[in-house]
Amino acid sequence: MTFWTTLLIIHGLLAVALLGAITHQALAVWMPVRSKAGNFVTRFRAVPSTSYVTAIIVLYLATFVMGAWIYTQYRFTSRLALEQLRFFKTVGVFEMKEHVATIGLIVLPAYWAFWRQPLSEDCAEGRKSVTLLLAVFVWANFLIGHVVNNARGFGS
Amino acid sequence: MTASSKAAVFTIAFGVAYAVIYVICTEMNLPLVTYHPVIGEVDVLWAPPRSGPAMYWYGWMLSSLIGALAVAWLAGFVPEQWVQRAIFFGCVAAVGYLIFYTVALFTYDKAPVELEFLKSRSLAVAAALLAAIVISFFAPMRWQQRLWPGWVWLVPIGALAVLAYYLTPFFTR
Repeated sequence: MTFWTTLLIIHGLLAVALLGAITHQALAVWMPVRSKAGNFVTRFRAVPSTSYVTAIIVLYLATFVMGAWIYTQYRFTSRLALEQLRFFKTVGVFEMKEHVATIGLIVLPAYWAFWRQPLSEDCAEGRKSVTLLLAVFVWANFLIGHVVNNARGFGS
Repeated sequence: MTASSKAAVFTIAFGVAYAVIYVICTEMNLPLVTYHPVIGEVDVLWAPPRSGPAMYWYGWMLSSLIGALAVAWLAGFVPEQWVQRAIFFGCVAAVGYLIFYTVALFTYDKAPVELEFLKSRSLAVAAALLAAIVISFFAPMRWQQRLWPGWVWLVPIGALAVLAYYLTPFFTR
């Protein structure tokens, strides 16, 4: 159980890093700072968004692989317990998490293509939209994972 | 807002095709492999649970990957406007099917007489295809010239909406 708990913690830490990176980039691309950075929120938006692309792709892949690995253990331990406890909504949102994670994964190649240097003006709108979509997916999956872990985390 | 680089066309076609094929594989249960987590064994294609639950998610992803790679690879060989037209046609047909089938079921429920034929999915499919042909024919040419990058977020959101709909039993028990 220690092994799986360790993996889950690493998965969570990777997700936190991914969450920070994608949120920075999404805000920077949707609400770019026009004047000199001032308060915390403005400085948060003032990052160079192109520098986050590789980190976001690597973090997404790493978080996904870890999650897909832990999922094997979840399937016959935590999920069975959740079903016995009749926590069907929790099981349902976790089912949604696996779909959201998969759809986010398949959007990554387009995300990479849209952010490829030199940035294409033709893909500017697509770039913004896909970045926002990924940010929404990452936030949704982070929150769902947190809720499910609270309901029946490893070691509980 | 269009995309004409080879990489953009490939990745957009891949994303769109994967989302659609993934929904089909999920709903029709078409995994390339089945994993049995309790015993750590893998079966090719669909297999019933053995010594505990079976996991099909990995198999659905692999089935979709093969299909999407094939579609994206083909998209690289045809003119860009064909790819745009095919996606446009597919999206209109999908939305049309949703509308026609919903209206048919609503009419079936409200009708004072038994209209069994309204429950037929093939009727909704035929109507949706017909509507898609007509709309594609009359759609402005500028919509069909170059590939729209927005498909890569619009189609996955549509796919997720369908997947979420099929998960409603978890929330209504």
